[in-house]
Amino acid sequence: MTLLTIIIFTVFVNNVILSQFLGICPFMGVSKKLDSALGMSAAVLFVIVLSAIISYLLQFGVLVPLKLEYLQTIMFILVIAALVQFVEMFIKKASPALFEALGIYLPLITTNCAVLGTAIMVTQKDKIHNLIEAVVFATGISLGFALVLLLFAAIRERLDLETGTPRPMKGLPIALVTASILSLAFLGFSGMVKM
Amino acid sequence: MASTPLIKEFTKGLVSQNTLLVLLLGMCPALATTTSLTNAVGMGAAVIFVATMSNIAVSAIRKIVPDEVRIPIFVLLIASFVTVVDLSMKAWMPGLSKSLGLFIPLIVVNCIILARAEAFAYKNGVIRSALDGLGSGTGYALGLILVSFFRELLGNGTLFNVSVFGEAFKNNAVLVMILPPGAFLTLGLIIATINKIRRV
Amino acid sequence: MEIMSLLTAAGVLGLVGLISAVMLAIASRVFAVKVDDRITAITAALPGANCGGCGYAGCSGYAAAIVNKGVDPSLCAPGGNASVKAIGEILGMTIEEKARAVARVRCGGTSDKCRARFDYRGLKTCRGAVMLNEGGAKSCPYGCEGLGDCVDVCVFDAIHMGADGIPVVDAEKCTGCGKCVVACPKDVIELQAWEGAVAINCNSQWKGREVKAVCEVGCIACLACVKACPWEAISMKGNIPVIDYSKCRACGLCVDSCKPGSIVVLKTIDEAMKVEGQRIVAERKAAAAAAKAAAAAVKPAVAEPSPGQ
Repeated sequence: MTLLTIIIFTVFVNNVILSQFLGICPFMGVSKKLDSALGMSAAVLFVIVLSAIISYLLQFGVLVPLKLEYLQTIMFILVIAALVQFVEMFIKKASPALFEALGIYLPLITTNCAVLGTAIMVTQKDKIHNLIEAVVFATGISLGFALVLLLFAAIRERLDLETGTPRPMKGLPIALVTASILSLAFLGFSGMVKM
Repeated sequence: MASTPLIKEFTKGLVSQNTLLVLLLGMCPALATTTSLTNAVGMGAAVIFVATMSNIAVSAIRKIVPDEVRIPIFVLLIASFVTVVDLSMKAWMPGLSKSLGLFIPLIVVNCIILARAEAFAYKNGVIRSALDGLGSGTGYALGLILVSFFRELLGNGTLFNVSVFGEAFKNNAVLVMILPPGAFLTLGLIIATINKIRRV
Repeated sequence: MEIMSLLTAAGVLGLVGLISAVMLAIASRVFAVKVDDRITAITAALPGANCGGCGYAGCSGYAAAIVNKGVDPSLCAPGGNASVKAIGEILGMTIEEKARAVARVRCGGTSDKCRARFDYRGLKTCRGAVMLNEGGAKSCPYGCEGLGDCVDVCVFDAIHMGADGIPVVDAEKCTGCGKCVVACPKDVIELQAWEGAVAINCNSQWKGREVKAVCEVGCIACLACVKACPWEAISMKGNIPVIDYSKCRACGLCVDSCKPGSIVVLKTIDEAMKVEGQRIVAERKAAAAAAKAAAAAVKPAVAEPSPGQ
C-alpha cells in the first residue's frame, strides 16, 4: 500500500464528495463561484490535515491505551472545534492577506461532515498503518474535495446563466443532477486501485 | 409561543418545513444511507432519537447555560446522545451498524440537530422542544424513506429486501440507482418535484 | 459499573477540554490583532453596505485604506456628505463635500421602439451578448441590451428591469456608487447630477438616417436642442448632445424641440423658466432677424449700379 495508491484512491476512486457523500452542504453552498471555491478548498486542506494528525495522535495515544474508544465522537468533535478556532486566530495574526482570502470559510468547516469523517477514517487500523499514511490520506481527501469543488464551480457558473432550466429545477435540483453526472464520470475510476 | 397548539410543533416538521426536502438540511446522510429502505429507517430512527433527546436536554438547561459558550455545550450534549445511539446499534443491531458505517457518528455534525437546538430548544420549554425535535426528526426520516423507496425499488427490485418485480428484474435492475450517481439523481428530482408542488 | 472507568472517562474528557480551553485563551491573547481605533470608528461611520463602489473591499477595507494609506475620504457615494463629515471629524480634518449623483440609463430603445437584430439565444447577460456579437444583440450598437447586468450588480435595490427591456433607476434609492456604470458593457449607464430635470435618453454616435432606421426615439444629431436652449446649456460631444446642469434651468424647451423624442423629462418643468426662455429665444430671433435685415439693406445699396455709369 504505497503512498501514491493512497492518493489515487482518495482523490479519484473513492472521492470524498462523489463516492462517500461527505461535505455535500459546502459543496452545494460554496461552489457557485470559482474564487470562493478556491478559498474553501484551501481552508478545507488546512483543517482536514491538521485535525487528522491530532485525531490520530489522540486516538492511539490516549483513547486506546485507556480503553476509552467510545469517547471517540465526543473527543474528536471537541478537538476539531477548538482546532478550527485556534487556526482562525493564528491566520488572522500571522497573515492578514490569507485571512481575507479564506477566513470566512473556517467556521463553516467546523460542522463539515468531511472533517469529522476523515478524522474517524484515519483511526481505522485496517486501512491506515501509521501517521505518515494518515497525513497522506487526509491530504488526498482534501485534494479530492478541491478537485470536485473547482470542477463543479466552473460548471455551475455557466449553469446559472442558462435560461432553459425549468423553474422547479433551478438552484439545488439541477446542481444535484449535474453532480450525479459528475459522479457517473468518476465511477470510471473504480477498481483502479484497491484500499 | 403559547399561541401555537402543541400538536402543531410536531406536524410542522413533517410537511411544511420538512427538514430534508424543504429546508434542504442534512443531505450527506440522505445520499449515503438510502441504498435500501432498512438502512433509511434505521438512520431515520437514530436521527429521531438524537433530535428529540438533545432538544429536551438543551431546553432543560437553557436557563443556566451562559450565552457565549452555548454552542460547544450543545455540541457536547448532541455528541453524547449520538455516542449512546452508536453503541446501542453496535450492540443490538450490528448488521445495520455496519451498513450505516460512519454516518451514525456523523449525526453529530448534521446541521438539523444543532440548528433546531439553537433556534428552538434554547428558547422554548421542554415539552414544546421535545415535540419540535420529534417532528423535525420524523420529517427527516420520511424524506429518507422517500429517497430510498425509489432507489431500492429501481436499483434492486425490492422493498425492505422483499422482491417486488420478480427475479428477472432483480438481475437486470437499474444498478446505477444504488450507486452514488443514482443518489444525487433521485434526491435532485425529488426536490424538483417538491418545488413544483410548492410552486417555488 | 466500575467507578474507576467512569472517573477515567470523565477525567480524560475534562482534561482535554481544559487543555483546549487554556490553549484558546492563551491564543486569544497572543494572537490578538490590534486594530487602530480610528478604523473601527470610520467603519461605523460608513453605511456598512459593502457595495465596493469606493473601489475597496467593503467598508472596513475602505476605512483601513483611509487610515493606513491616506486615501481620499470622500469616495463613499452611498454614505454621502454625512459620512464624509463624520470621517472628517474622526480624522480631525475638514473634507470637501461632493455633489450627489444618481445613475441614469441613457437609452429609450424599448423592445417596441428599437428592434433586436436577431433572436438571441446565447448567454443571458449583457456582457455575454456583447462579447459574442460585436455591438450586441440589438440593432443599435450603442443601445441598452436589456439583459440586466446592472440590475444584478446593484446592492441598494435601486435598479430594476422595466417591462419593455430598459432598466429603470429608482432615484431615491440610488446612491451613485457606480457599480452599474462599471457593469454595463456598452457604457449606457452614466452618473448624472441629482438635480437634473431633463436628460438625453440616447447614447448613439450615429446620426440621421442610420439612427432612424434602427430606432424610433434615437438621437439623429439634428442639433435642434442645441439651438433651442436659451441658456446655452447643451453642447455636442460627437453626435450626442450633453447637458451642462450648472446652466440648465429646467425650462423644457429642448424636450419640445426634439422631434424623435430623445430628450426626456426627469423632474417637473419650471413653467416660469419656460416663459422666460421663450422670451429670450424670441428676443434672440428678433435680434438675428434685425441683423439680417440690416445686412440685406446694406447690400443692395452697395450692389446698385451708380446712375452715371
